[in-house]
Amino acid sequence: MINSVRNTVLAVLNKNNYGYLSPQDFNLYCLQAQMDLFEDYFYNYNNWIVRQVQGTSGSGYADIVKGLEEVIDTFSVTAPLLNESTAQLNRSDYTLPTFALNGSDYYLLSKVLVYQTIKTQGTNTGTSGGGNRLTDANATFITNGIAVGDIVGFVSPAGLPINAVVEVVVSETVLELETTFLTATGIDYTIYDPSKIKEVEKVTHQKITMLENSLLTKPTLTYPSYTQNAASAKIYPITIYNQGQIISQYIRYPFAPNWTYLETSGQDPIFNPSDPLYQNFELPQSDEPNLVAKILQYAGVEIREGDVVTFAQSEEALDTQETS
Amino acid sequence: MAYINQYQYYTNNNTNPNDANWGSYQYISLEDIVNNFMLIYQGNMELVNNLNRYQVLFHAKRGIQELNYDALKEIKVLQLDIDSNYRFVLPSDFVNWVRVSQWKDGLLYPLTENIQTNFSDSYLQDNQANLLFDQNGNVLRPQDSQVDLARIQGSAKSIYLNAGSPFDGQEGYCVDGCWYFDYQIGARFGLNTETANSNPTFKIDKKAGVINFSSTGGPISVVLEYVSDGMENGDDASVSLNKLFEEYIYAYIRYSILNGRLGVSEYIVNRARKDKSSLLRNAKLRLSNIHPGRLLMNLRGQDKWIK
Repeated sequence: MINSVRNTVLAVLNKNNYGYLSPQDFNLYCLQAQMDLFEDYFYNYNNWIVRQVQGTSGSGYADIVKGLEEVIDTFSVTAPLLNESTAQLNRSDYTLPTFALNGSDYYLLSKVLVYQTIKTQGTNTGTSGGGNRLTDANATFITNGIAVGDIVGFVSPAGLPINAVVEVVVSETVLELETTFLTATGIDYTIYDPSKIKEVEKVTHQKITMLENSLLTKPTLTYPSYTQNAASAKIYPITIYNQGQIISQYIRYPFAPNWTYLETSGQDPIFNPSDPLYQNFELPQSDEPNLVAKILQYAGVEIREGDVVTFAQSEEALDTQETS
Repeated sequence: MAYINQYQYYTNNNTNPNDANWGSYQYISLEDIVNNFMLIYQGNMELVNNLNRYQVLFHAKRGIQELNYDALKEIKVLQLDIDSNYRFVLPSDFVNWVRVSQWKDGLLYPLTENIQTNFSDSYLQDNQANLLFDQNGNVLRPQDSQVDLARIQGSAKSIYLNAGSPFDGQEGYCVDGCWYFDYQIGARFGLNTETANSNPTFKIDKKAGVINFSSTGGPISVVLEYVSDGMENGDDASVSLNKLFEEYIYAYIRYSILNGRLGVSEYIVNRARKDKSSLLRNAKLRLSNIHPGRLLMNLRGQDKWIK
């Protein structure tokens, strides 16, 4: 879609030989436009929910809320959170999703979950060629009731939080996992029962102290809570601190679009979608007109052409009018 | 509780305690109640929205507590021997008592609560009746008050017709198998049936957390029937509620939330209140378990002549 958007933008800009938009500038405007539209989805979602409550939205093909949910859900990620804290006081602090740890930054935390039942814990003592075997000479996996489908939480040698599913219980001391990250020994692991999982409720800093002191609603393993700080979530009760015990389902930011190209001497750059840095828009195809309109506004300012900005704004306003 | 197979129900998968699941199907867990409410009754298209789970948890627990006080009839029973001070320490989950009985000779004898106190606090006084204080200005107290001491030592007299009664052992006349006494016991004014009980009596000192017994008859074995609040000593995973009250507890939570919310129309609050009240009535009727078999047994006694 990104090439199609670029061609359209250039076509509009060059209508009267107004000017040219460099790939670098185009990529910058793409990022802005995509982020703007991405945020609009959440506001639109809320507006349509209100209309749904008021009974002025339809069902079936007229179910706008469903369509918006589908788009937002394409950005949904479920990943374990890393517990980096070593101090006793902060031992239940889990690092919020980051690009470095989880492959994407979070836009909003949809829910945080905790595994309630720990089946066993230990440290691996051997590795396999594929890095998919958990070997612990001191373990008694079968005796401890470890079964296929159980979750093994650990931190990979590269420092990434990994929750892997048990695929085969090979023996009392060996498990085969759905991962390839067990490439070193001395890795601490914890195995959880996947059927015992609870949602951790977000609580404001204003409420958490009172909640902790409340006899009836004090956070427990059955009803855990968390507060959010700049880069971490503090889980209550603080007895929840094991690696892999906390997972989060979050909405990530869209990846920055990148129109990659091949340099040509004296001619326009040629689109190259094979470049490893290539990144298409992540919004649906139906957003192409909106993306074009947004980018044209930025480009119109760049080439100091008011007509382009006005045209783009009127296009956007028309679209908003049609879809709300 | 969760759906489990028969083997798990009867033997707990052959692990201790084997009886862990017996009767569990009568109950719904607190976890289920909170989860169901959040799932079904809270949301964009529901009466209540934007709730914190702890709010629902609070109201659910409060509702269960209230039900445990009377409607549920979940009576707990504890048997203990009273100590040398003729005290029965209240159970850790005690909220209110239902009945106190003496276990004697294989029978349960319901005991009477003394209409007079049998315990007291006391301060030390000099022979001029002045209070005595320590260097910090706190009043000095004896180990036992005279009331307590008399009860423990067995020197206290009783207004009940038991071994502590001042009339115990007085001569009377046996006529046709009935005993008659000259004056004090009923001959002049009639028998005071309220105190006509020969068993030991008790009085509950709620603040001290003990039941104080009269020393009549020496140390006894006591069976206490009491109600708790159903909170299972703070173990949320063990808190449960009889299924007959399931719909009521949802209505109770809904009403409690709507009643405390700003801007909710009064008719909606009223509807929720009526809903809650009628469901409580229905649940109580169901729990009372009135059915023909039970009524028949009661009615069989209606023509019995009581002499």
